[in-house]
Amino acid sequence: MMRFKQCKTLLTTVCLVALSCGASAQNKTVAIGYQAPLSGENAQYGTVFRNSATLAVDEFNKSGRLPGVTIQLKFEDSKSDAKEGVNIARKFSDDASIVGVIGDFNSTVSMAAGQVYAQTKVPQLSQTASHPDYVKISEYQFRNINTQAYEGPLIAKWAFDSGAKKVAVIAIQNDWGQSAAGNFVQGFKALGGTVTDTEFFNPGTRDFRSILTKMARSQPDAIFVGAFYEDGSAFLQQKVQMGLKQPVFATSSLYEKKLLELAGPAANGVYLTSTFVVESTEPHVAAFVKNYEARYNGKPQQFAAQAYDATNIMLNAIVAAGGANATRAKVRDALAATKDFPGVTGTTSFDPATREPIKLLSKLQVQDGKFVSVK
Amino acid sequence: MRRLISISILLLAVLLVLPGILSAVGGGYWFRVTTTIGVFSILTMSANLITGTTGLMSLGHAGFYGIGAYTTALLATKLHWPFFLTLPVAGVVTAVFGILLALPTMRLIGIYFAVATLGLGEIIHVTLLNWVDFTRGPMGISAIPGISLDGLFSASDITHYYAVAIIALLAALVLGRLTHSYYGNALRAVREDDQCAASMGLNVVGLKIQSFAFACFFAGVAGGLWAHTTGYISPGDFRFSESILILAMMVVGGLGSIPGAVLGAVILLGLPEVLRPIGDYRMIVVGAVMFFSILFLPRGLLGETSVLSVVRRQFGLAWDKTLNLGWRQ
Repeated sequence: MMRFKQCKTLLTTVCLVALSCGASAQNKTVAIGYQAPLSGENAQYGTVFRNSATLAVDEFNKSGRLPGVTIQLKFEDSKSDAKEGVNIARKFSDDASIVGVIGDFNSTVSMAAGQVYAQTKVPQLSQTASHPDYVKISEYQFRNINTQAYEGPLIAKWAFDSGAKKVAVIAIQNDWGQSAAGNFVQGFKALGGTVTDTEFFNPGTRDFRSILTKMARSQPDAIFVGAFYEDGSAFLQQKVQMGLKQPVFATSSLYEKKLLELAGPAANGVYLTSTFVVESTEPHVAAFVKNYEARYNGKPQQFAAQAYDATNIMLNAIVAAGGANATRAKVRDALAATKDFPGVTGTTSFDPATREPIKLLSKLQVQDGKFVSVK
Repeated sequence: MRRLISISILLLAVLLVLPGILSAVGGGYWFRVTTTIGVFSILTMSANLITGTTGLMSLGHAGFYGIGAYTTALLATKLHWPFFLTLPVAGVVTAVFGILLALPTMRLIGIYFAVATLGLGEIIHVTLLNWVDFTRGPMGISAIPGISLDGLFSASDITHYYAVAIIALLAALVLGRLTHSYYGNALRAVREDDQCAASMGLNVVGLKIQSFAFACFFAGVAGGLWAHTTGYISPGDFRFSESILILAMMVVGGLGSIPGAVLGAVILLGLPEVLRPIGDYRMIVVGAVMFFSILFLPRGLLGETSVLSVVRRQFGLAWDKTLNLGWRQ
C-alpha cells in the first residue's frame, strides 16, 4: 500500500513538472475527450458527432481565438455499451491533457460514464442525453438538449390549441420515450384534455398494427409520437395503411431527412418541433450548413447541429477558463456560466442551479415531403 | 507441497503482482478494465459449469446476471444494505430464480434447451425493461453505492479491484472443486450421454438443476459486483448480446475449462481496449482473432483435457492423499 502511495506522489510531481513546463512552451495542446458510438448499432450518430466536432474544432483552431494553444479532440468508441463507456470515462480521466469531455450518445452510457466523471471531477457535456436524472449525478454533468420536461408540455399545448381534445400516445420503451410520453400526457391533462391510450413499444419493433388498431378503436383527435425516425417512419406508413386520419404530433427526434425518405408520402402533415432548422436563413446557421455540406457531402441534421453546438460550448468554456491554463474545475465553472450562447440550435443558456439547458424550439410541419416552418 | 506453491503463486499474481503492475502503468483506466474482466470471468466460469461441463447450451445467462444486478441495486439503494449482504443475497435470489425458471426446461436437450434459455433470457430482459414501478424500467437505477466498509476501506478503483479479484478467486475455487471431482465427472457423463448416465444410476435431472443453481448463484454475484462497481445499471446491460459475449468467451477460452473461461474474458474484453489506437478497425481485429482461434484451436486456447490434467497435478485436485481416494495422473 505504501509503495502505491509513493508511486502516486511521484506521479503527481512528474505531472506537475510536466504541466509547468508545458505552460511555458510556445504551443500548448489542450484536449477535449469525445466518447460516442463510432461502431455498433448507433454508429450512424457517432459518425455524425465526429464530423461536427471535428469541423467545430478545426474552425476554432484556425480562428486564432486562443493564440499559442491548439485544441485537440480525442475520440473513443463506446459502441453504445455501458461497459466500454465506463472504461473510456476512466481513460479520459487518467489523461491529464483532457480538460472536458463531450458525450456519450444515449442516456444509458452517458449515465454510467457520468458516475465515473462525477468521481474524478471531469466536466461532462452530453449533446443528446435526455435522462431526467443525468444532470443530477453531480455538478459536473451538463447537456445540450432540451429535456422532455420542456418539450412535452410545449407540444401538448400546440396540439390542444390546434383543436385536439382527445389524444392517443405512443412512445418507445426506453428512458427517453418514458419521459417523452410522461411529460406530454401530464401537460395535455393539465390543459384539460384527455389521453385515450398510452402505448409503449420495445426498441426494434417494426409492426405497429396492433397498437394502431387499439388506437383507432378509441377514436382520438390526434396522435402523439415519441420515437426516432426508424420506428417513426414505420409507424407513419402503417398508420396510413390502416386508414387512420388523425394528425400526428411528434418530438424533435423525428426531424431527420431519413424520415422523409423512409416514410415517403406517409410523413406529410406530421407536426413536430425542432431546435435546429437546416433551411434557416440565419447567417451562422447557413454558414454551418454550408461548411458541413462542403466537407462531408450531406446536409447536417438535428444531431449534427447538437454536437456542433456542444463542441463550441465546450470550446467557449475553455477560453473562459483561461485557455492554456484551463483546468477541469475552471472549465466546469465556465460551462455552468454559459449564458445566451448563440448556437445553430438556438440561443442556449444553462440554468446555474440545475444545469439544465434552456433553448427555444421552432415548430415545423412536413408538407410535400419537406420540413416547413409553421406558426 | 506442489499444491501449496501453485496456490501461493496464483494468489500472489492476482493480489499483488497484477495490482502492482496496474498502478505502475497508470491507475484508473486499467484498474477499471481489469475489474470488468474480473466480473466477466466470474460470469464465464459460472456459465461454463452449465455449458462446458454439463453440456447444456445456455443462451440466457445475461438474464440471470441481470437479476443479480437488480437485486443488489434495489437492496443497496432502497434498503441501504452493505455489499457483504447484497452480494450473497443477490446470489441466492438468482439461484432460486434459476431453479424455478429452469425446472420446466430440464427435460430438453441440445438446441431445444438453447432456444428455451434464450427465451428465459429475453423474458428477464423484457421484465426488467417493462416493470417500470419496480425496476424503474429503462430509466435504470443510478447512485448505487460502491464497495466500502466504514473505518476499513472506502470505494475506489483498488477496493473494487480487490473485491472482484477475491470473489473471482472464491468462484474459481468453488467451481474448480465442483468440476475437478467425482461430481464433475458425473456432470461430464451427463454431457456425453445423459441416457447412459441415467442407466448408471445418476440422477440426471437433479444434476442439471444443481449445476444450473450453482452457476446462477455466481452469475447473480457477478451482477451484484457490476452494480456496485459501476454505480448505474439499466436493462440495456443485460441484453441477449451479453449472453452471446459470455458464450464466445467460453468457446474461445475452451469449453469446460475454468482457466479458459478467464482467458476468454481477458481476450474478448482486453483486446478491444488494447486495440483502441487503431480506431474503427478494432472490432474487425477482435472478430478475426475469434474466428482464427476457433478455426485453429476448436477446443479453445486452453482446452478442457489439457487443463484438467495440469490443474489436477498443480493443485492436487481430485486426489485425496489421506484417504487415498480419487485418481492419479
